[in-house]
Amino acid sequence: MAEQVISIRNLTKAFGSNQVLRGIDFDANKGEVVCIIGSSGSGKSTLLRCINLLENPDGGQILYHGRDILTDESVSMPKYHAKVGMVFQQFNLFGNMNVLENCVAGQMKVLGRSHAESEKNALKYLEKVGMAEYRNAKPRQLSGGQKQRVVIARTLAMDPEVILFDEPTSALDPEMVGEVLSVMQNLAQEGMTMLVVTHEMGFARAVATQVVFMDQGVIAEQGAPDEVLGNPKHERLKSFLRSML
Amino acid sequence: MPTTFFGWVGFLLQQYGGLFFSGTCTTLLIALSGTFFGFIIGLLVAIVRTIEIPRGMGLFKRGLRKLAHMLIAVYIQVFRGTPMIVQAMVIYYGSMQYLGIDMDHTMAAILIISINTGAYMAEIIRGGIVSIDKGQFEAAHAIGMTHWQTMTSVVLPQAIRNILPSVGNELIVNIKDSSVLNVISVSELFFQAKSAAGTYFKYFEVYFIIACIYFVLTVTVSRILRFVEKKMDGPDSYVICGSQSDSRAEIVISKEQEKEVDRQWQSK
Ligand SMILES: Nc1ncnc2c1ncn2[C@@H]1O[C@H](COP(=O)(O)OP(=O)(O)OP(=O)(O)O)[C@@H](O)[C@H]1O
Ligand SMILES: [Mg+2]
Repeated sequence: MAEQVISIRNLTKAFGSNQVLRGIDFDANKGEVVCIIGSSGSGKSTLLRCINLLENPDGGQILYHGRDILTDESVSMPKYHAKVGMVFQQFNLFGNMNVLENCVAGQMKVLGRSHAESEKNALKYLEKVGMAEYRNAKPRQLSGGQKQRVVIARTLAMDPEVILFDEPTSALDPEMVGEVLSVMQNLAQEGMTMLVVTHEMGFARAVATQVVFMDQGVIAEQGAPDEVLGNPKHERLKSFLRSML
Repeated sequence: MPTTFFGWVGFLLQQYGGLFFSGTCTTLLIALSGTFFGFIIGLLVAIVRTIEIPRGMGLFKRGLRKLAHMLIAVYIQVFRGTPMIVQAMVIYYGSMQYLGIDMDHTMAAILIISINTGAYMAEIIRGGIVSIDKGQFEAAHAIGMTHWQTMTSVVLPQAIRNILPSVGNELIVNIKDSSVLNVISVSELFFQAKSAAGTYFKYFEVYFIIACIYFVLTVTVSRILRFVEKKMDGPDSYVICGSQSDSRAEIVISKEQEKEVDRQWQSK
């Protein structure tokens, strides 16, 4: 059996009276790419934010290698955060640092690496996403696609085991979507475990090992991409897919 | 004795130049250190106020946090809601009569200005922190930084840059308003002027002189601050490193060039 990296068990979350997650269950095995799709407001971002503890879930379990991070005190939070990276829709580069410093800060502060080692590692990943040339640029001097590639390099520099992507290309101009998706596709091919909230159905079809369709706080349909995207059973999934065309 | 206005100004400067100079130094000392310590107080207060309750925080800690927030709110309200001249009297004579502390006048002045400035700074700095897009907090937390690390290495450097004009403004206000502290007999500029003016009954001439001194101080300080702001923004250009090993393969891109490119695009 494949090794489970992240398993979600009966996860619930409400904002006031708004029950956003109503019991979510799924497993992400090592090397899997789970694409999470669903209409706006269905709770996709909330799910990822709970996994990364940017939100406190109300109930359920988030198992990381079988240990529940919500209750197990032996899981160190900074380590967990380093191991589970997150890429946001709005890029969120640190505005006071240049590209290289953005990729170095976390390694030094969280992982306690030396400056030289952090820089070497950062440059390796900047090279990989094609942004090493811009190492001295400030975030405000970059295009959206360039910023997002730097964010990916910053996340990779922490040597994560899983990366959560929340609509990483939604804020990009159409001509920049491709450059970011191809970086992500390369990562998937190298075996990175990824949870990707996306509206890019082409990407889901080509790269996902598992597609999860969320609807009103539950997983309405889930399975292999061909199955879920090619042969949808739920009426709501069918109409969602039609609206995506 | 001089007969003209300028004659008197010259005479008074000669007679009391040393006094005015030491007064100016004291005023600067009080204003600068008061602004500095006020800034530190404001910073600490603002950081405490932005701490969010992490998962599973105990009831005791929650209570403590609530108490801290309440005390901070009272502090800010009281010190912004009463005149500094009154605060000076209350603190100085209060500590003398009831705590038996006979404070050094200058120390007392610095203490009062610091506490007073801290109340304003707390709000200014909070504004600066709030102005930083929440996504940067989240991104920092998402790579595992603690609240403290996020604050000191990501949020505050940007917040402080954004609020620098307001901080400079506080310094200028303090240079001027430290004059009210003459009520606790600090030998700052206004206090020295008072004693100088009394000797020859030349009120207008003396206060004209110190008005000029205050003006020069505030204008100079605001010039310096503007220069610092420019410096902090760093160069408007960045260097493209063509090759990791060959540092000659560099292209400098400046703001001007970027604007030029933008213009070309827009005219198309
Ligand atoms: N911090 C919050 N406070 C209150 N309500 C929230 C908060 N964050 C999200 N919600 C609500 O939770 C619901 C689900 O939001 P979520 O962002 O998870 O949706 P989503 O599936 O990511 O949608 P989208 O595709 O538009 O990003 C929405 O109704 C939203 O209003
Ligand atoms: Mg969302």
